[in-house]
Amino acid sequence: MNPAIALRMVGADFLKIRKKYSTLIWALVLALLPVIIFFLVNAIEHSSSPATHEPAGGTEHFITGLRLLGGLFFGPLVAILIGVEAGTSDLSAGVFRDIVVTGRSRLALFASRVPAALALCWSVIVLSYALILLGTFVFAGNLPTPSGTLILNGLGFLLLATGVLCAVSVGFSSLVGSKPGAIIALIAWQLVAGSLISSISSLGSARDGVLSQALSHFSPVNLNGGGHHDHGGPTILNMSGGTALLVLIAWLVVFLGLGSWRTRTMDA
Amino acid sequence: MAASPTPNLPSQASGLAIETRGLTKRFGERTALDGIDLQVPMGSAFGFLGPNGAGKTTIIRTLLGLTHADAGTMAILGHPVPAERSAALKRVGAIVEEPRFHMHLTGRENLRTIAAVRGPEVDARIAPALARVGLSDRADQKVKSYSMGMRQRLGVARCLLADPLLLILDEPTNGLDPGGIQEFREMIRAMVEQEGRTVFISSHLLDEVEKTCDAAAIVDRGKIITQGAISDLADGGSARHELILGVDDADRALGVLGASALVAEARRSDEGLRVVLTGELSSAAQINADLVGAGIGVARLEPVRQSLEQRFLEVTSRLDADLVPDGVKA
Repeated sequence: MNPAIALRMVGADFLKIRKKYSTLIWALVLALLPVIIFFLVNAIEHSSSPATHEPAGGTEHFITGLRLLGGLFFGPLVAILIGVEAGTSDLSAGVFRDIVVTGRSRLALFASRVPAALALCWSVIVLSYALILLGTFVFAGNLPTPSGTLILNGLGFLLLATGVLCAVSVGFSSLVGSKPGAIIALIAWQLVAGSLISSISSLGSARDGVLSQALSHFSPVNLNGGGHHDHGGPTILNMSGGTALLVLIAWLVVFLGLGSWRTRTMDA
Repeated sequence: MAASPTPNLPSQASGLAIETRGLTKRFGERTALDGIDLQVPMGSAFGFLGPNGAGKTTIIRTLLGLTHADAGTMAILGHPVPAERSAALKRVGAIVEEPRFHMHLTGRENLRTIAAVRGPEVDARIAPALARVGLSDRADQKVKSYSMGMRQRLGVARCLLADPLLLILDEPTNGLDPGGIQEFREMIRAMVEQEGRTVFISSHLLDEVEKTCDAAAIVDRGKIITQGAISDLADGGSARHELILGVDDADRALGVLGASALVAEARRSDEGLRVVLTGELSSAAQINADLVGAGIGVARLEPVRQSLEQRFLEVTSRLDADLVPDGVKA
């Protein structure tokens, strides 16, 4: 297909989800509010009792902020909401058939949803990351601040984690066709079932197939709350980089494949 | 409108905008389309008439590739579908069932999302299409604030983005008030007569099809019962011809008519004497001569033209009779 038309189709899909204010506002709230509350509470504690509470910024709090956003909770929620919106937008509005009758290939119609969802998801995530960095440096006081490498790795990890989940959400929701159903299923899997399966040691290496486990491998910080302290966070398995990469690719191939198959074959 | 007033006809035009042969579609055990042979001439308004559940929407969905056919062949604007679906639909605009939109976007934004899919050249048609359907002033308001009639008009504007040689409209007057229906009818006629487009309208409203279309097909239970020009459909299906007579002495006239071999039946009606002929309408002249010869003044002699509604009821009731199991049929 002509790249110019592909770009226009992505732009059209981006317009549809960007203007869906209910989804966008929820995504912004989930991405920004926890970060604001986190730094605000720490800053108030520090100002009220500097002797017992260290400054709200610095590397330590940067890492916590990264866990908060990318640590497989708020960031993934944003990715799921936006991915599902992109995957079901035309279907739930009932305009899918009107797009199909343009004669454009259904595969192209599906494919344009993914970059549009990624563009919006990453815009929100980058905004939230910028807020983390702002808090990290503004409230650093005498604490050390994160290195440029850690900042870049943190950003890369966030984009990877939310990007993969967002794309999987587009595929899964295109397959399911129901916005509420897809959101519930993805959140239940990502935030509940995934963690539960990971904690069942008798499953052995089968647990490597859990998406959040594979994503955790690429995190520059320990996502289970470890590092200086173990906060009793989710179980993080050790797996090789190759295995983690294969798991990510498998998730993308399976769900994007299923989503495109459904889009190509369904009665519109 | 800025979209070409006289659309370029496809070079491979066969004279038919839509052609199907043996088109069949099943939903499980139920046959929704049963060997449909349909020919829609280019440059006409064609009505696809049938009761609810007859298969009107199914054939539209099948033609447009929204669902697949189980058997048969189809061609749109000379292109076989689904083999050349993309080329076939490039100059087709369609409203299937009620027009649906992204309610959170404006009318103009909704058209932009479709223009993006159709191609860059379509952007220039957005404003003229909105003007054509009288929505320029409301184009930047969200569609959720539109009335049903406005959404129908926006649906037509969306069709016009294709600069369509063929418009396929499924029950297009649903939800329109009488003024809107009249306006819509005029727009369809202008598209056909002034712009040379073909308009295919499915409807269960006989009166609407009769007033808007040049030709029609009557469909019921997934089969085409008959198709042709509206006038042929209305008149041609019936073997019997009728006259309305206005005479100065009805009793004597009934006597004369009753003795005539040209008359199968004669009776009084609100309009005068209603006469069923045994032969063709041309025998009306002889009947007039017989009455005048008998000294009866004839003030009115008018062939009864069947309406499409009568024809529709006749052919669908015939189908009902055909479906009655042997032995029960009267």
